[in-house]
Amino acid sequence: MYLWKAWHDCRARVILYILATLSIGVLFGLQVESWANLHAYLTVFRGVHRNQWFYFDDFYITFTALHHALGYYGIWMHTFYEPRWDALGYGPLAMLLAGLSLGASGVGKEYGAQTMNFVLSRPSHRRNFVLVDWVVGLTAVVIIPSALAFPLLPFLFSVHAKGPGNVLGGLPVLWVLGAAIYGLSYFTTLVTGSAAKGLTLSAAALLMYGFLPTALHEWWHADLLLRAVEWTLRGLEDDAWPLSPFAWGAAVFWLAVAAGFLGASLAWIRFREV
Amino acid sequence: MNDLAVHTAGLAKFFGKTRAVDGLDMKVPRGSVYGFLGRNGAGKTTTVKTLLGLLRPSAGSAQVLGYDIRQNLVAILERTGFVTENKTLFDSLTPAQLVHFNQGYFPKWSGELVARYAELFEIPMQTQFSKLSLGNKTKVCHLLALCQGADLLILDEPSIGLDPVITDLLLRVLVEDHVSEGKTVLLSSHQLTEVERIADWVGIIEKGKILLETRLEDIRQNYRLIRAAADTAPVISSPDLVSVQSSENFRSYLVTREAEDFATMLRAKGMTILEILPVSLEEVFLGLTRKEVPCISGKPGTIAVPA
Repeated sequence: MYLWKAWHDCRARVILYILATLSIGVLFGLQVESWANLHAYLTVFRGVHRNQWFYFDDFYITFTALHHALGYYGIWMHTFYEPRWDALGYGPLAMLLAGLSLGASGVGKEYGAQTMNFVLSRPSHRRNFVLVDWVVGLTAVVIIPSALAFPLLPFLFSVHAKGPGNVLGGLPVLWVLGAAIYGLSYFTTLVTGSAAKGLTLSAAALLMYGFLPTALHEWWHADLLLRAVEWTLRGLEDDAWPLSPFAWGAAVFWLAVAAGFLGASLAWIRFREV
Repeated sequence: MNDLAVHTAGLAKFFGKTRAVDGLDMKVPRGSVYGFLGRNGAGKTTTVKTLLGLLRPSAGSAQVLGYDIRQNLVAILERTGFVTENKTLFDSLTPAQLVHFNQGYFPKWSGELVARYAELFEIPMQTQFSKLSLGNKTKVCHLLALCQGADLLILDEPSIGLDPVITDLLLRVLVEDHVSEGKTVLLSSHQLTEVERIADWVGIIEKGKILLETRLEDIRQNYRLIRAAADTAPVISSPDLVSVQSSENFRSYLVTREAEDFATMLRAKGMTILEILPVSLEEVFLGLTRKEVPCISGKPGTIAVPA
């Protein structure tokens, strides 16, 4: 029924993301195996911030310049730079893209497609449509970064015992972050009744989340919001668990955000008229 | 069991200051074909959507198949087949996939009927919905509603895009396969000839209120159009008078019954009766709902509806 429909609507994207993450995981794993300067990589896992070779990397220099220009390190380095040296950096990017696009494929898009009359005249409680969407969406959000991480494990274990732990430790944070982004996109699509509008609003909200604290910091030297945002992204840092304590606070924060969007979506569809 | 498939009392739906449905009292007998007629914007689709829980009523009450629309919506939807006005389904699915999606919701779903109607209506079951013609899209919408084993079919503008042959088939299917089984059909339509062909009850809605609700047979047997002439227009007041249309010295009176008695009253007021004619559903509909219209003479006619 609707579960079949929800899966039918997003399966192409889910499979694409899974294949992409699997490929990156495998390719990166192979790269680790053949890496000439393994020591440089191992220092990362040991908690040393960067090895010297790193600073001669033109790509890093470019993004360091960007980092200085923006005055903010956080998620930008993870999403844009780190895919170059650390496949795990693809995780937040995959979560961002998958969460946004899968959220926009929920039941909210049926308003724009003028099929909401048909959907809501099926004999089922309205909440079920939302819950089924979320089951499918969250399953995908869990599978996608896992598909990236698990192929890496044997390679990483072969070069350092702490490697797998470092990778696995980042997974729960990615899951809850993905769930929150999915929730944002799902809710905005439901409210606006359009996948395109939902995606645009969600992307705008995420950009604000990244830029506003930086702007406040750079222009008015107001650091409170920047510190808060950095706190929410703690689980994605280089020295995340097991090199440092697991970022429970950040994980619970994103979980609460996701739950908030789920609750708001359930309330909205209950009262929304067609 | 309640002998009404749909019963509304003072049902209202407001959108801000717009009173789309305004105190609607409607009774659709079980086992009937009920033609729900009205001009564009009269409140037909809003009424139907309210009955199915797609809109929340602003006031009043409504029962569908004996269930309150506020309390037992899922039970209503399980027993009601609905074809929407816009005939839009999931673009990426084929009719066969739409059947697969839909059948799980309805315990009385009939696979045999799917095969039969798909062949009868010549539906391309493996073509993506977005690639179907409007007529085929309409057929698919009907297929889904007809096969779910519903006790009530609510069809909003059912013949949009259908050719005359398929329209004829559809009307026959409705009567022979569904009404004959004791099921109820509510046709919300502008196509008066279709309604007149199969309906046994009609309800005419205007500005969110029912103007007329009666058996079609009653219209055929009792409603009459009385054409009369007079130099001056006398003031006529009668509960049987539905509408009056004027053109220069001529008057057309639409009355619900006792046409001869009404004509006698007109004669007593100095009018000359030209003819007394049986009326079609279309004439009743126009008599009730049209506003000023140009006559052949080019001068506007007028309409007066008794309070």
